[in-house]
Amino acid sequence: MGARVRRLRWLRDRSEKPGVQFVLGCVALALLTLLGSLLGARHGAAALLYLFAIVVTSLFGRLVPSLLVVVVAMLALTYVFPSPVNAFHILGATTDVVALIIFTTTAFVITRLITKTRTAAEALRTTQAELAHASRVMTMGEMTTSIAHEVNQPLAGIVTNAGACLRWLAGDAPNLEEAREAARRIIRDGNRASDVIGRIRSLAKKADTEKQPLDLNDAVQEVTALTQGEVRRNGVLLRTELAHDLPPVLGDRVQLQQVVLNLVMNAIEAMSRVGDRPRVLIIKTQRVQGGQACVTVQDSGVGLDPKGAAHIFNAFYSTKPGGMGMGLSISRSIIENHGGRLWALPNNGAGATFHFTVPQRP
Amino acid sequence: MPKPDATVFVVDDDASVREALGGLLRSAGLGVATYASAQEFLAGPRAEGPSCLVLDVQLPGLSGLDLQRRLAEIDLEIPIIFITGHGDVPTSVRAMKAGAVEFLTKPFGDDDLLTAIREAITRDRAARLEHAGLRELKERYQSLTPRERAVMGRVVAGLLNKQAAAELGTSEITVKVHRGQVMKKMQARSLADLVRMSERLGLYTKV
Repeated sequence: MGARVRRLRWLRDRSEKPGVQFVLGCVALALLTLLGSLLGARHGAAALLYLFAIVVTSLFGRLVPSLLVVVVAMLALTYVFPSPVNAFHILGATTDVVALIIFTTTAFVITRLITKTRTAAEALRTTQAELAHASRVMTMGEMTTSIAHEVNQPLAGIVTNAGACLRWLAGDAPNLEEAREAARRIIRDGNRASDVIGRIRSLAKKADTEKQPLDLNDAVQEVTALTQGEVRRNGVLLRTELAHDLPPVLGDRVQLQQVVLNLVMNAIEAMSRVGDRPRVLIIKTQRVQGGQACVTVQDSGVGLDPKGAAHIFNAFYSTKPGGMGMGLSISRSIIENHGGRLWALPNNGAGATFHFTVPQRP
Repeated sequence: MPKPDATVFVVDDDASVREALGGLLRSAGLGVATYASAQEFLAGPRAEGPSCLVLDVQLPGLSGLDLQRRLAEIDLEIPIIFITGHGDVPTSVRAMKAGAVEFLTKPFGDDDLLTAIREAITRDRAARLEHAGLRELKERYQSLTPRERAVMGRVVAGLLNKQAAAELGTSEITVKVHRGQVMKKMQARSLADLVRMSERLGLYTKV
């Protein structure tokens, strides 16, 4: 994503806090008034104030900026029309009329431009969400075999337990306790299968980004449950170390899970070509300085190519034969959207470690 | 129905599958021992009586096929029934070629599994008898003196007593006596019987 987009995102993130808006507004207002009086032009100052008002509303469009705009607009009006009686007199001067037309036109153009930028940012956000969804569904498509296995496993348990249950009940002296036990296992396995399906559905659904308070440990655990089949299929040893003191974060559960899923699938992929050492995947959560929650995904795979390491987060850059090169780029934009950071480091030994942070819920 | 002295070893990393199989096999009157990994099974005790192995193909660490190979390497003969979540043809072919009794895809019917297990236990019982016979045969062969073994080798190779005597540099009478001893000690009813025994023992007949 380009620098412009990042700037826009910065502005949007900041503009969501009313306090920041107000301070920002006041500072800008003071600067503009100063500028206006320095130029000594009465109309110039008025025009600047008016322009500022328009810029602020277009950008933020919330209650506080709107009030600010009303005040500023009133000030501007008193400059142009000191009193209703004198209005025609002032407007009578040609220069004044020209000045009025110029700054009205400028204001109009600026409003248009800002509105367009805002619409573009909005469209970008929607596109990003759609892209994220598409890539999520694609990742899940790659996992179909192991997901099927995840559902099949409890189903196998159910069929076998049901067979056992019938056998315990058959004959002259049925063993009710054993039969009951088998029936209990059937219920448990049925719930397990339905949990798997529930997790898949929640990951596959196309929802608008909505940030909610969430426990990252929970989110991570759901992903590891879903990838268990993939882990097993590839002979990977998975270890999870989840911190108990992890701060709750504000985020979009599905999108954050997508990032974890992406990192885990990449790690497994990176280890699939490794035959001379154990394939170990470590998923860790921890509280880091600044009260941020940090998720770490460490593998013992082929590691980061020093030449390519700088590009791994770029769109369309992939080291996988069939890779689209979208996963990490999408993951990074998701994390940045959450006000966090995503980065990768080579391990001391073999493999690589990916980290991402998400700020604590305010 | 196999006797209850038969033991079924189950190796599957999924706890619920292990429990389910344990329940099913016990309901069929079989002894069960379950393991979560191939390594755990290798470290566990062996069965005294007839037994078979119900083995998941996908296991963490040593896979089911790896375990099958490893068991062959350490000469641990146990009939194997493979179970798998997704049975692909190449894997099943490899498993069956390496001597598996059956290859079942989850979820499988309990009858299919139990039929396979009965078949496996029957095979194991026969193999054990066979082994016991061979062991006894080896013991008999061990009881022969070096001279008797030399005579036996030549006799089964089709040499006449006279020829054997000439080769061994002794009299025909002595060879005849040794030959009688061999037949007695090996409990062979006929020369053909003795030839079969030497074949089973895998003796190298030098002519």
